[in-house]
Amino acid sequence: MRLVYNDRRRRGWKNILLTTSFLFLFSACGSLALAQDTPANDTTTNQEEVTLSDILKLEGRVLGEGTNTKTVGQHKVKSYRVEEVTLPRMKEVRIKGETRSVGKAFRLTIKGGPFPVRAMPAVIWLDETAIGYGIENEDLNEITVVTYDESALAEGATIYLSYGDKKNKEDRTALPEKLKLGGAKGGNQ
Amino acid sequence: MKISRINHLIALAFLMFLSLAGATATRAQTPDPGTTGPNLVTREEYNFGNSVFRPVGFPISVEVRASVHYPTGLANGPYPIIVFLHGRHATCYRNSTATLRWPCLNNEQPIPSFQGYDYIAQTLASNGYIVVSISANGINAYDNNVSDYGMQARAELIQHHLGRWSTFNTTGAAPFGTKFIGKIDFTKIGTMGHSRGGEGVVKHYNYNASLGSTYTVKAVLPLAPVDFGRPVVNNAALEVILPYCDGDVSDNQGAHFYDDARYNVAGDTGAKHTVQVMGANHNYYNTVWTPGMFAAGTADDWGYVTGGSVDGHCGTGAGNKRLTSAQQRGTGLAYLSAFMRAYVGGETQFLPLLTGAAPPPASAQTTNLHVSYHAPDAAAKRRDVNRLLDATNLTTNTLGGATTQSGLTPHDLCGGASPQPQHCLPATQSTARQPHTVASALSTKRGASQLRTGWGAFGSSYTNDLPLGSRDVSAFQALQFRVSVNYNDLRNPSNTAQNFSVVLTDGTGATSSVRVGDVSTALFFPPGTVGPVPKVFLNTVRVPLTSFTGINLSDIRSVKFSFDQTGQGALLVTDLAFASAP
Repeated sequence: MRLVYNDRRRRGWKNILLTTSFLFLFSACGSLALAQDTPANDTTTNQEEVTLSDILKLEGRVLGEGTNTKTVGQHKVKSYRVEEVTLPRMKEVRIKGETRSVGKAFRLTIKGGPFPVRAMPAVIWLDETAIGYGIENEDLNEITVVTYDESALAEGATIYLSYGDKKNKEDRTALPEKLKLGGAKGGNQ
Repeated sequence: MKISRINHLIALAFLMFLSLAGATATRAQTPDPGTTGPNLVTREEYNFGNSVFRPVGFPISVEVRASVHYPTGLANGPYPIIVFLHGRHATCYRNSTATLRWPCLNNEQPIPSFQGYDYIAQTLASNGYIVVSISANGINAYDNNVSDYGMQARAELIQHHLGRWSTFNTTGAAPFGTKFIGKIDFTKIGTMGHSRGGEGVVKHYNYNASLGSTYTVKAVLPLAPVDFGRPVVNNAALEVILPYCDGDVSDNQGAHFYDDARYNVAGDTGAKHTVQVMGANHNYYNTVWTPGMFAAGTADDWGYVTGGSVDGHCGTGAGNKRLTSAQQRGTGLAYLSAFMRAYVGGETQFLPLLTGAAPPPASAQTTNLHVSYHAPDAAAKRRDVNRLLDATNLTTNTLGGATTQSGLTPHDLCGGASPQPQHCLPATQSTARQPHTVASALSTKRGASQLRTGWGAFGSSYTNDLPLGSRDVSAFQALQFRVSVNYNDLRNPSNTAQNFSVVLTDGTGATSSVRVGDVSTALFFPPGTVGPVPKVFLNTVRVPLTSFTGINLSDIRSVKFSFDQTGQGALLVTDLAFASAP
């Protein structure tokens, strides 16, 4: 097991308690217009909804991690990490157009930077698929996208970072290492 | 009846005289909105804490902090109030290292993005305005965690500050005591938002209206904005400033704000403007985001564009056309001031700058910019000849008159609702080069419908007939349309401006012709070769009706584009109308 987002986590657990009563009002937090999977019901009033903020703070199990330490390309990427996160409650999401109840999420994190804080969100790709918009960490050396679809994590896929339009492949920077999970994928059964 | 050759020459000479005299007169009569006014200015800040306001549904509580510029002594008033909201940026720093958290660590300081527009606030306050610039670091630190990227939170934060100002204005409150009691005119509010703040102020406009608020927002200015959700401003003035060399919001998607609002509401009282600033980037409008002017987190965002440094227009090589940061701030100062002063303060003397009737003022520090104007939807202000919204408009215009063409190919519509193609350029061209049709992150709305046309020989033409009841245009100030040279069509020679003539014909058959190149710079060939440039961007061509001589403006039968100046070319066109200033 590996702990991530330690700074946020320390303050985050306190905030989670305060946040719970407001969850029904921002249950759409998890959607972020992900390319492949989104919460099934952005207007749900389920007070137990697990939000994207929650998922970023939860402990994760590392499924794969790159080792490159040299900055590459226009967007200053270095390496990556894939983690599986067990959700505290089942979550309904849409994966490839179908509503599914999932108990796990997957964080794909690109390491590098310092990444600029831009108006246009970062987009993380695996091969020709935009997995979704990324979120910078506090120290601006990681950008993470959350997906619920383990099949999106294709072994050997090229990982890219771009900004803005998810259909625009022109300005992508490829990581020097391809995605390697080594059969460690668990996933939503 | 044709005008004789001699008469034609005389008319031409007279026209040139009138044109020159008119331009000179307009320039002379239009004061510079960016000059310092008669008031001394006091600057203060208020800070109620880093975690004191929680927008609904937002993960954290955020700061309530702002700067305020106001006329020293507040001798007059009540004053109009202008609210600024900065965009997404790093939130904290230590030495030269920027971070993204809120609140900052004990060994860090907040990055004061809200102070980055003080240069504009100072000038506006000197001219009799109270300017409040809000800090939004807390929102920036967590806005990617919420589904609308923090736009509703931004709207609520603005509203919260207005609430504070309502208290300052009525009972008074710390830290200002009774100083501002009775000094704020809440029927005259303007908002400016930069970057994500740009969509934030649009969102606020609608949020404020939804509350049945007594705050009257008269003018909304998104500056280099994102437009993820495609909210729309109607019935208030709108000005979108779009930097051509924006390396962050590199697709200039804020063009949608103007496009989406045009025909959205019948009777819309709001005038709409865009200002396309050539050579300008995203960050230099904010001094705190500008290299050399703050310790951390600054950047020339054009550097985000892969290979961008070698671009002839936006790059950094010899002969580039980039504005210095000071020049860029000049454009912001001039056109933000003109807009707020005209529409919030009622200083109508600045309207010619916004309609394109007057050239850029000295404070803009460049003339390399293009202004577009869409008049309010009122019979006396705008008569749409052809909105070019759907296929019907290829044969019948908005007035019901016939539309014909000769020798034009292609001659179709693009960019608008299906079945039009989503974009006007082929798939080989980046959508970042097509601001009017680029897709939106949180909306499936299509873009602006445009006429895609081109000619391969002299004498090709595009004609719109004016039916009975629509022919008296004498009360309007100008004939106008928006146009872009299609850089991707090889019939347009690279780096060469296009030109053609606009011909009005009256009921006697008399004609008068004006070359577009004589009255507008909008037919420039879009510069650049790297990444998001060149762009096809629609700029208004404004042809003053005084330019058309020897015809009866009370009985105009047709408007013709005569492609008689160059042997070939290709354009994108929309919004053909007669119009007057608001």
